[in-house]
Amino acid sequence: MLSMKNINKVFKTDLVETHALRDFNLDVEEGEFVAVTGPSGSGKTTFLNIAGLLEGFTHGDFFLDGVNISNLSDNKSAAIRNEKIGFIFQGFNLIPDLNLAENVEVPLRYRGFNAKERKIRVERALEQVGLAARMKHLPTQLSGGQQQRVAIARALAGEPRFLLADEPTGNLDSLMARQVMELLEDINKAGTTIIMVTHDAELARRAQRNIQIVDGQVCDFTMYQGEQGSVAQGQSVADVAAAEVVTVASSVA
Amino acid sequence: MFQVKPIISMLMRNKSGPLLLLIQIILSVAIVANASFIISERIGMMSRESGIVEAEVFDFTIYNFDENIEAETQPLQDLDIIRQLDGVKGATLTSMTPLSGGGWSSNFSYGSSEEDSKSAPNAAIYYSDEQFIPTLGLNLIEGRNFYPDEINAGGPELASLAIVSAQFAKDTFGDESALGRVMYRGNIGQQPMTIIGVVEKLQSAWVDNDNLELSIILNVKLTSSFNRLLVRADENAIVGLKEAIPAALHKENPNRVVRGFTTISEHRTSIYRNHELMASVLSLMVVLLLLITSLGLAGMVMFNIERRTKQIGTRRALGAKKRDIVSFFLVENYLLCLIGGGLGGLIAVQLGQQLMTLYSLPKLELIYPIITVAGLLVLTTVAVILPARKAAKISPAIATRSV
Repeated sequence: MLSMKNINKVFKTDLVETHALRDFNLDVEEGEFVAVTGPSGSGKTTFLNIAGLLEGFTHGDFFLDGVNISNLSDNKSAAIRNEKIGFIFQGFNLIPDLNLAENVEVPLRYRGFNAKERKIRVERALEQVGLAARMKHLPTQLSGGQQQRVAIARALAGEPRFLLADEPTGNLDSLMARQVMELLEDINKAGTTIIMVTHDAELARRAQRNIQIVDGQVCDFTMYQGEQGSVAQGQSVADVAAAEVVTVASSVA
Repeated sequence: MFQVKPIISMLMRNKSGPLLLLIQIILSVAIVANASFIISERIGMMSRESGIVEAEVFDFTIYNFDENIEAETQPLQDLDIIRQLDGVKGATLTSMTPLSGGGWSSNFSYGSSEEDSKSAPNAAIYYSDEQFIPTLGLNLIEGRNFYPDEINAGGPELASLAIVSAQFAKDTFGDESALGRVMYRGNIGQQPMTIIGVVEKLQSAWVDNDNLELSIILNVKLTSSFNRLLVRADENAIVGLKEAIPAALHKENPNRVVRGFTTISEHRTSIYRNHELMASVLSLMVVLLLLITSLGLAGMVMFNIERRTKQIGTRRALGAKKRDIVSFFLVENYLLCLIGGGLGGLIAVQLGQQLMTLYSLPKLELIYPIITVAGLLVLTTVAVILPARKAAKISPAIATRSV
């Protein structure tokens, strides 16, 4: 589904070269639910941006659903984003001047679906997240959790091959976070591959697989199978979180 | 890809900025359409052909204050003197000069009896001789010129033959030939004048008059101590003749004042000066208004790009191509332009009606609001395309940034 081999991303200024990702390798199989954790500045967002075709990489090989992503034109990248990837952002990124239905409709319009097809998909997606009755409401009339569910509906409406979620519960209280997480789990169970970047160790533990990025590299990964919390391989996420605290404490000291 | 419905939704939910721009567009269209119409009218007026070789013909006046001068013969001697001068192609006496702003006009009637009397339109009257047509370079299209022995010297009442402008002939007699028709000054029976020729074009002295193209040449040399002369000469010789003519005339008799020397081209410039000024001022106003409107459009787009940076990044992340972002801003502003243009067009027509009533301007032609809106669409494209292309370059990665 997603295969990254020796991906490097270097940000250059006149004075400094920063390696955001360094020989980054990752394979994600179809239907997986992968949580990506790591300290701030470790390269999580850069990974997410590259995985979501939001920005390019300096060198390496990246295959998405069998398509070589290197050197794609801007238009082709946009088309792949639109057709294969659903995005869920930390800040929801809903368009405040559009109602829920219009928000969910945005990627469908870029796909070129006709009005009838868009209507069917919008209703279905909003129904899936339990907000079909509020499709004429504006985002500002909803709670944070509801807004994120609309964002999930927007991501699902185009029936993407996989979802990229960037801190999907980062702006939500614990109750709403749990609801959103349950929704993502349901979506994954229905067959959609999910890659979720998160700081939340508890949430990460609920994913099938957890990878940790440190200094632009996958430094460790943990496989969870079956029941939550049964560690199959490697370091536990709690340990990783503890390691983060130690890292932060050392840097403060 | 056009997204008219969501764009309308966005405009409706965020009214204040677009509303201000809309008002600006409405006012611009209303004013620019009327101003363009007035400019076009003025330019149309100024570009009317006079039928005269304007650059070669000039007029001047002679005031004779020598009591011994013979009013009938002196002008003939003066014309002979002038015709001898180098560069002179022709000279004639006249009662008025075309496009000069002052002269003679009269009403005429025609018909076989008082009962079937008809009025001819008011027309300018040139009292002159057989040299008038060649001196002005007029084109005789029907009939003939005066013969020298048909020219009477004296007062206006001696006129018996007339050469009319084609427009006068058409307005008076329709499709029938004017040749041989008898006109009367005033009522039927008073001072009959037979039309013997028709010139293609001869304008009067008053450019703001509806009857500018209606003129009549009558076969009378007016005898007076004051004479107006028209001279046709090589263009290059005119400057020299302005000194040579007074010198030659004063040599013959110093007791007179020779003054004027204005070419028909100069008369044209002078008489159309106010129209030219108005056209220039209105043109400047149109340019400024369009400039301000396009700056308003560009400013609004730049403001919106700044405000919607994250939204644009999100749209790009969701699959919008660069051209989708450009078309989004173009469509948004085209909508404003079309709505503003439509309303502005209606107000323009109303404003045109008011101007027509208050200042006797012609009725605004609908094509002017339409052209103004079309021009505004072009201007919108120019004003919006650069900021919109800049917006299209916003990285989709901005969607994942927290600021």
